Amino acid sequence: MADLTTIPETLTRQTSSGRLVPAGSIAGLCIAATIAGPYLLDAYTVNILVRSFLYAAAALTVDVLWGYTGILTFGQAAFFGIGAYAAGITFTYMDFSPQTAVLALVAGLVASAVVAGITGWISFFHGASPLYAAIVTLALPIIFVQVLYSGGTFTGSSSGLVGYNTFDLSVEAWFTICGIGLVLLTTATWFFVNSDFGRVLVAIRENEQRCTYLGINAPRVKILLMVVMAMIASVAGYAYAGYTVVVAPEIGSFVFGTELVMWVALGGRGTLIGPVLGTIAIDVTSAYLSGNLPYVWKLIIGSIFVLVIVVLPQGIVPVLKSGLRRLWSAATGRDAVPGVAVPALSEAPEARRAGAGSDAAALAVADLARSYGSLKVLEGVTFKALGSELLGIIGPNGAGKTTLMRCLSDGYERTGGTVAMFGRMIARTPPQGVVGFGIGRSFQTTSLFETLTVAECLRLARYRLNKTRMLSHAPTLALPASARHVITATGIDRQLAIECRHLSHGMKRALELAMVLALEPSVLLLDEPTAGLTKSERTLIGSILVDLVQREGLCTLIIEHDLDFVREISTRIIVLHQGKILLDGSVAEVVGSELVRTIYAGAAQQRPAP
Amino acid sequence: MTALVLDIITTAAILFAVASGLLIILGVLKIVNFAHGGFLTIGGYSGLVVTQLGWNAWLAYPVAAVAGILLGAVIERFIIRPLYDRPLDAILATWGLGIIIGQLITIVFGREIQFVQAPITGATTVIGETYSLYRLFLIAAAAMVAGGIAALMNATRLGLEARAVIMNEQLARGLGINSGHVRFVTFCIGAGLASLAGALITPLSSVDPNMGVPWLVNAFMLVLVSSVSLVSLATAALTLGGAQVLVSTFISPVIGGLTIVVLAALLLRIRPAGFGNG
Repeated sequence: MADLTTIPETLTRQTSSGRLVPAGSIAGLCIAATIAGPYLLDAYTVNILVRSFLYAAAALTVDVLWGYTGILTFGQAAFFGIGAYAAGITFTYMDFSPQTAVLALVAGLVASAVVAGITGWISFFHGASPLYAAIVTLALPIIFVQVLYSGGTFTGSSSGLVGYNTFDLSVEAWFTICGIGLVLLTTATWFFVNSDFGRVLVAIRENEQRCTYLGINAPRVKILLMVVMAMIASVAGYAYAGYTVVVAPEIGSFVFGTELVMWVALGGRGTLIGPVLGTIAIDVTSAYLSGNLPYVWKLIIGSIFVLVIVVLPQGIVPVLKSGLRRLWSAATGRDAVPGVAVPALSEAPEARRAGAGSDAAALAVADLARSYGSLKVLEGVTFKALGSELLGIIGPNGAGKTTLMRCLSDGYERTGGTVAMFGRMIARTPPQGVVGFGIGRSFQTTSLFETLTVAECLRLARYRLNKTRMLSHAPTLALPASARHVITATGIDRQLAIECRHLSHGMKRALELAMVLALEPSVLLLDEPTAGLTKSERTLIGSILVDLVQREGLCTLIIEHDLDFVREISTRIIVLHQGKILLDGSVAEVVGSELVRTIYAGAAQQRPAP
Repeated sequence: MTALVLDIITTAAILFAVASGLLIILGVLKIVNFAHGGFLTIGGYSGLVVTQLGWNAWLAYPVAAVAGILLGAVIERFIIRPLYDRPLDAILATWGLGIIIGQLITIVFGREIQFVQAPITGATTVIGETYSLYRLFLIAAAAMVAGGIAALMNATRLGLEARAVIMNEQLARGLGINSGHVRFVTFCIGAGLASLAGALITPLSSVDPNMGVPWLVNAFMLVLVSSVSLVSLATAALTLGGAQVLVSTFISPVIGGLTIVVLAALLLRIRPAGFGNG
């Protein structure tokens, strides 16, 4: 393996070591500022800032969903509106009292959670495109506003509800409460997105498919996240209604939903602080400017927005941040980026592998078929594989090898036949469920998480088996012996703090193999694990595989083009040709077969080699 | 009954005309043009300018189409091109463009609702039912738009190249097709079609700087359930537009306004290919 011994400092990324102190002191300073604010600022600014704080809280939820998890959502406006209307309607028809205040808050939380759950269930399913979630969340505020219009006098229709009784608080008190609330929310969210679980969110954004094949139920994570974010937005809306004493359809509208996204984009998606500061800055400025220059101001914001999306897709805050960092290192001669705290590797307790002690075949495939319309890619594929078997699958390009892997690892892929593991049918189970049956799959083209570190990638693979921390990093990373063997043999254990995109091709392949092994699978599906590797790397991977199969009794299916390699490591070979099994036999049988040579080398007999 | 059927057909025709520009841009460029609403608005105001200048009302259509094409050319070059590889960002950037167009129009024309003169006025009798001539004309207009696109796609070299880019852009590029050029021309045509559609729909109601937004949402939904096929788009416009007319007539116009959005979202959930054959 190529050895990356000199790692530039800039490649590493900041993590948890001593996060509590700086984060706490920054939060403390911000809280002090929100207490001092009313004494330092004029009444108008204080008044506007309360609203900006609440918008910023809503923008923060958009950032978690979109910036970190990659769900482009226009729907947070609707949840903000639900919270606001819960307060407006309750206070209008039941008058304000401490009891109704609690009732309204709970009603808003429950309603937004239910709506978010339904929205999430509609938006996120196995195979949904990211665009689809954007469509559904776009429809949500449109429907919400129409519901308000249909509400007639009850919801106040297009003019909304005004002048109900509300909390008896001064503007200064609102300022302090909302300010402190925003600081606490931002801090808590910061810990959340920087935790081990936060890495799962980024992983879903980067490569959702890979996540599901690591047993991470990405749709469920997204739905739960959407529910929680909806509840936070609804609290912000509730405070908005309590503070402004007016609720109108605009605050739950599609236009407000897009504005939230714009503020997040301008501030810097995936930075938390960017969206918060961006929202406050833009909202305060527009409060000052829109009186004098209403249309021109919106024109300016629109133009800046387009410019930022095209030229600075990361937003303004990251640019400022890297500028400041450069200034800091120029001034002090030190690098402003602290080194990464790498988790210590430890031995994972031997988990009971799926199917352990079962008498049934590890993998039993019967009459498997996959067709796209009239095109039959696989047809009548039937075979069994046992533990301790290393089954080589060969065949020319287009024979259906990779399709076979897909059908084995995703219950929705096949169009006919059955797949059973240790006697249990995989039925129509999405990949994250099939992982639970004991399957681990690697991909033909390396499929990793580019911006995550090696350690983070390995931890993702342990998501299914180990608890993932929601607010912090675990100090250790427990891996099964096989995965540890792969990473130590290939030298990746010394690269744990490196982001995956900086690894060499060979190391990426090895890391992917280690991740699959970290799943503790009983059946291993490897799609050309040595493609593009050097001879020595290939030999290393081959010996690791043989060792695994012999020592741990793994059932391994391996797709390979290199016949010599397959011959060396396999215990049995299946030849696929035009979607059907042509031969299934011992290595000697298959390699000696005239038929195989004909298919593999094309029409070799008729056209002798030059 | 006749009126209801005619309502359904004309609504479908309008929806088809409005969505076609969005469809061809999504097909070739693989990005959702949220500035589509802005282009519709441009078309509407082109009609207004023609009316205010006292020109022949028929001139509104060529003026709108040319305005759309020119603006599309500028936008493609400077905004769309850098975003080819970032489809979700393209949605946002084009939405921002829509805001810019809306604000510029507000500054130039004011934000009030204004009316545009129709080239055809009056009504005619269809099977014993008096019906607006202009709405009937829109059926012909939509058919012409469909015929124009079909001819362009099937009978010209550009159409052939565009179809190649739709199917496999990498391969098309490898075969020496200048996919950048195909994208550019397609975006211009899509923008021109959107603007033309804007001019076609304004005589039915009125123009205001935000007139495009409600149309954008419906057009977007229709295009998504059509999986980049004109035939599917026609089916979708007829089915979902028909449902909209029925719901508006028999239940409530407010719910009617949501019909397309809700039905399309549900349809995509059950059948991701929508009306296409996926």
